[in-house]
Amino acid sequence: MADVAAAPPRAQHNWSIGWGDAGPFLALAALVAIGYLINPDFLSANNIANVVTRSAFIAIIAIGATFVISSGGLDLSVGSMAAFITGVMILFMNTVAPSVGTAAIPLGMAVALVTGIACGLLNGTIVTVGRIEPFIATLGTMGIFRALITYMTDGGTVAIDRSLRDAYRPVYFGDVLGVPIPILVSLAVALVAAYVLYRTRYGRRCVAVGANEDVARYSGISVTRIRITAYVIQGACVAIAAICYVPRLGAATPTTGLLWELQVITAVVIGGTALRGGRGRVWGTVAGAVILEFIANLMVLSDFVSEYLVAAVQGVIIIIAMLIQRMSKR
Amino acid sequence: MLRNALIAAGVTAALLATGPASAAEKKVIAVSIPAADHGWTAGVVYHANAAAKEINKAFPGIEVIVKTSPSASAQVSAIEDMSATRKMDALVILPHSSEELTTPVKTIKEKGTFITVVDRGLNDPHIQDLYVAGDNIAVGFNTAKFLVEKMGGKGNLVVLRGIPTVIDDERIKGFQDGIKGSDLKILDIQYANWNSDEAFKLMQDYLAKYPQIDAVWANDDDMLLGVLEAIKQSGRKDIKFALGGNGMKEIIEKVKAGDAMTPVETPYPPSMIKTAIYLTAAHFAGHAPVRGALKLDAPLITKDNAEEYYFPDSPF
Amino acid sequence: MNAAQAHVPAPDGGPVLRAERLGKAFGGVTVLSEVTLDIRPGEIHAIIGENGAGKSTLMRLLSGYLQPSDGELLMDGAPIRFHTPSHAQSVGIALVHQEILLAEALTVAENIFIGREIARFGRLDERAMREAAAAQLAAIGCSVSPRARVGDLSIANRQLVQIAKALLGTHRVVIFDEPTAVLTHEEVDPLLDIIRALKQRGVAILYISHRLDEVERLADRVTVLRDGRMVGTYEAEGLTPQRMASLMVGREFASLYPPKLEPELGEPALEIAHAHVPGFVNDVSLTLRKGEILGLAGMIGAGRTELFEGLLGLRPASFGEVRLHGRPVHFRSPAEAARAGLGYLTEDRKGKGLLLGERLAPNLTLAALDRVHPFARLDLAGEAQQLDRAVRSYDIRLRSRDARAGQLSGGNQQKLLLAKVMLNDPTVLVIDEPTRGIDIANKSQIYAFIQSLVREGRSCIVISSEMQELIGLCDRILVMRSGRINGELSGDAMSESNVALYATSSVARERALEENAHG
Repeated sequence: MADVAAAPPRAQHNWSIGWGDAGPFLALAALVAIGYLINPDFLSANNIANVVTRSAFIAIIAIGATFVISSGGLDLSVGSMAAFITGVMILFMNTVAPSVGTAAIPLGMAVALVTGIACGLLNGTIVTVGRIEPFIATLGTMGIFRALITYMTDGGTVAIDRSLRDAYRPVYFGDVLGVPIPILVSLAVALVAAYVLYRTRYGRRCVAVGANEDVARYSGISVTRIRITAYVIQGACVAIAAICYVPRLGAATPTTGLLWELQVITAVVIGGTALRGGRGRVWGTVAGAVILEFIANLMVLSDFVSEYLVAAVQGVIIIIAMLIQRMSKR
Repeated sequence: MLRNALIAAGVTAALLATGPASAAEKKVIAVSIPAADHGWTAGVVYHANAAAKEINKAFPGIEVIVKTSPSASAQVSAIEDMSATRKMDALVILPHSSEELTTPVKTIKEKGTFITVVDRGLNDPHIQDLYVAGDNIAVGFNTAKFLVEKMGGKGNLVVLRGIPTVIDDERIKGFQDGIKGSDLKILDIQYANWNSDEAFKLMQDYLAKYPQIDAVWANDDDMLLGVLEAIKQSGRKDIKFALGGNGMKEIIEKVKAGDAMTPVETPYPPSMIKTAIYLTAAHFAGHAPVRGALKLDAPLITKDNAEEYYFPDSPF
Repeated sequence: MNAAQAHVPAPDGGPVLRAERLGKAFGGVTVLSEVTLDIRPGEIHAIIGENGAGKSTLMRLLSGYLQPSDGELLMDGAPIRFHTPSHAQSVGIALVHQEILLAEALTVAENIFIGREIARFGRLDERAMREAAAAQLAAIGCSVSPRARVGDLSIANRQLVQIAKALLGTHRVVIFDEPTAVLTHEEVDPLLDIIRALKQRGVAILYISHRLDEVERLADRVTVLRDGRMVGTYEAEGLTPQRMASLMVGREFASLYPPKLEPELGEPALEIAHAHVPGFVNDVSLTLRKGEILGLAGMIGAGRTELFEGLLGLRPASFGEVRLHGRPVHFRSPAEAARAGLGYLTEDRKGKGLLLGERLAPNLTLAALDRVHPFARLDLAGEAQQLDRAVRSYDIRLRSRDARAGQLSGGNQQKLLLAKVMLNDPTVLVIDEPTRGIDIANKSQIYAFIQSLVREGRSCIVISSEMQELIGLCDRILVMRSGRINGELSGDAMSESNVALYATSSVARERALEENAHG
């Protein structure tokens, strides 16, 4: 029939994948090579471990954001939500620590997860049932969570009880066979997330809703349920990140998680997930989060960027990373 | 946190109870400060509320009311509302920004209100009757002098600075002046936005980059917390001193306990608001001239005088 | 018949524009070759061909959007190359696009002058533009205000604005690319009148259309393309749509439609009583019997699509009663309807039917994920088999397994959509505009599929704006008008004139009833 002649011949290249999905990893590899040339210390095991561990929070939250964004949503509240969950968790643990001792830590983790899921449910419900633009809805909850943490801390700091500090510390600073625990946690989260997004009915539906809400609805998919679930996954991811975050500095402050939402969205987009929805890349997101942290690290390790220009150079590198990604798609 | 809310409720209740008749005879001191959005401003709010409570109790003829505002424009509205709705004998203000608050405060001054400006100066110094501020240059300078002395005049330093502002610039300038003439060398200086998380990351990177660091100075205590955690994690033994500034209670506790790495602290105490409120109250209660400018010194806090700067109930 | 003998001498003078052995290749793929044709003043020259025959490529070559790889263009006998569309425009070649390319938020005048604004000393002269726009609109007999916002206009009026925009300035050749594709039946005639008026003024018209009946009514000469080559140019006089279709496809077409079965009408399969969809449907009742193909005719906006969207819970609606195979049902979502055995194929296959950027297998199974994948985990191997089966049973032509739905031709997309809905094994199928925008060969296949579904004991409702399609395919036709059922036709009463009558006029109903009574 007329099929073959109908579509322009170069269309096939536009759609081909493989190289396109490799974009963020190519960018990451390029960055590592450049980093080594700038300062060989960059590749020291210690530095790499530090930087990748640091990127775990953003990576875990960004994995959740991959679901929200590929389902066509957006969540600006993740940074504030992380701070809020951290605060709730610390206050809870400090309250129960005198009576239950270090058992307060697993209880605190459970409370964090429940809080995160509840926050996600709130966001998802406002967006879907309330039919409010995700940008505005989560901008609202962003303010709410931020104000709550400020109120809980009196604008200052709530620190974890001293009796729990050392018991909890290994969750950030510990390692298994030399691999820091936060890295293991983010790998586990990424594995589960990749499975859910690529290999389950939910993942299919999630991407379908993001690609075209109408098609999904006409195909008998409950758009509301899929979207809310995506926000709940996001909330759970934020809680997991908060659980890893608490032992690092042992405190929640009103500036905890400030502007994380922007880093998270940047990581997701660098990773190849379409900001308009319909395409999610879990491993790309992880690469994106690591890229962001590597860039910041390189800024300090290199000597040729004035401290005043660091942000500008970071911006340029992010744009270049996106261009590499875009070009590898052609 | 509940406690503060109770105080606020108590103050409100007290105001309602006294009623307009008695209020008319009282001298009203309005206090306008930024809302608590990080450690230092939280301290300001704490000390302002404490001062209000104490003065209201101690001086029956004076009533102190505290109003916090989350932004410069909100602060302008707040002081305009206060001056429009009630008699205001004095205004103690810690301005969000000099530019936006100058004209509104001047308008209030023209009604005969006594003006006390705290910390950040207004663009026109003639507006203020009384000016109370800390000394940011001294914060940097005194820390630097301590390091020069303890390290025998030589060594490698790394510095973490905050957000590009006058406060940050003055502290860095004071520090650089303080090490001038010695062989102390600043290996690196970067912004960490007065944020513990960013300071933690930056310190990790400093440690990866420089094999020998003798001392660290973070120009604010929030950042120092992140720095200490990074040093602890690295297990490095070369760092002899890690100092901060501002007078956060966690750091004062370390100083009190005789911590080896952080043996001193320089205050830029949020309690300066309390000093300013008391001085303003003195203007009405004391029949002594209090007009002028008061620059609080930033002496080194050591184990011996740490108690004076320690407020266990303050959030900062 | 070959191309050379089909040439007809120009009525007077030479052609305005002549294509001489024109060809175009992308990379190594030739999509058009050896096309020679004349476009003469005062003549309507139609170009017909199946999808992919090269019509759009030819049109783009003639209007400067593409450069030929072979042959040349002659304007008034002299060779010419159009470097850009605006270059072609400047020598008097106007193109009316198939899609409506207007900014909905702007006014009619602003749209007409977009990119060609009249300014005085750098300041926009709104008044001059409004007046010129009004004159332009009046010239084609369009009465919309230049101040009206395009988003508020009907599709037909938007099309007219688009034509006014294309005709701005001097024009000697006007190319219409399927201008009636977006119009309903009754909106077509005024447009054809405008085109005839242009012809009277001596403009050369190139008219590309899928609707062969329009071509028959309008064209002076017809050029047929097939697979990127010219079949020939023919005098329109005496060229029937049947003949045109045969030339396009390259074989004789007995009929597009499968021979009608004598349906053995069984029990009622779907009964809808007193349906109300606020704003669209007002008290509609209908019954579909088992084994029946029931047509639903009417103008766009008559409420046909909305009736079923309401039935599926996609928009607010109330029903006196709905019974599926005799059991009362109430659907809150398409998923519930699918589980009960009711399938719905949307009219908007690109917007609501398929994920154009996705591969074929996920598209195929999207509506039946629970059925194809019994566990939460996806059964990718099973899914691939489903695709193989669908490709075979529905004759979906694709270049590769990894193709995206958007890369398929319209006809194959429609077959994929049909396969997708059929995965849920519906007993009652509602197909909304089954052949919109697809070519003849695929149309005839889809008609055959629909009939075979009915033969299997399923029942089918076909919603269509193409009257011939309903007449050729259905056992019975209900005609909707303004949210109500305005008439029912069956047997010999199913004629275009009757359908049109019921679709447009409410008095028609009584008259028809009267006639029936007397006849």
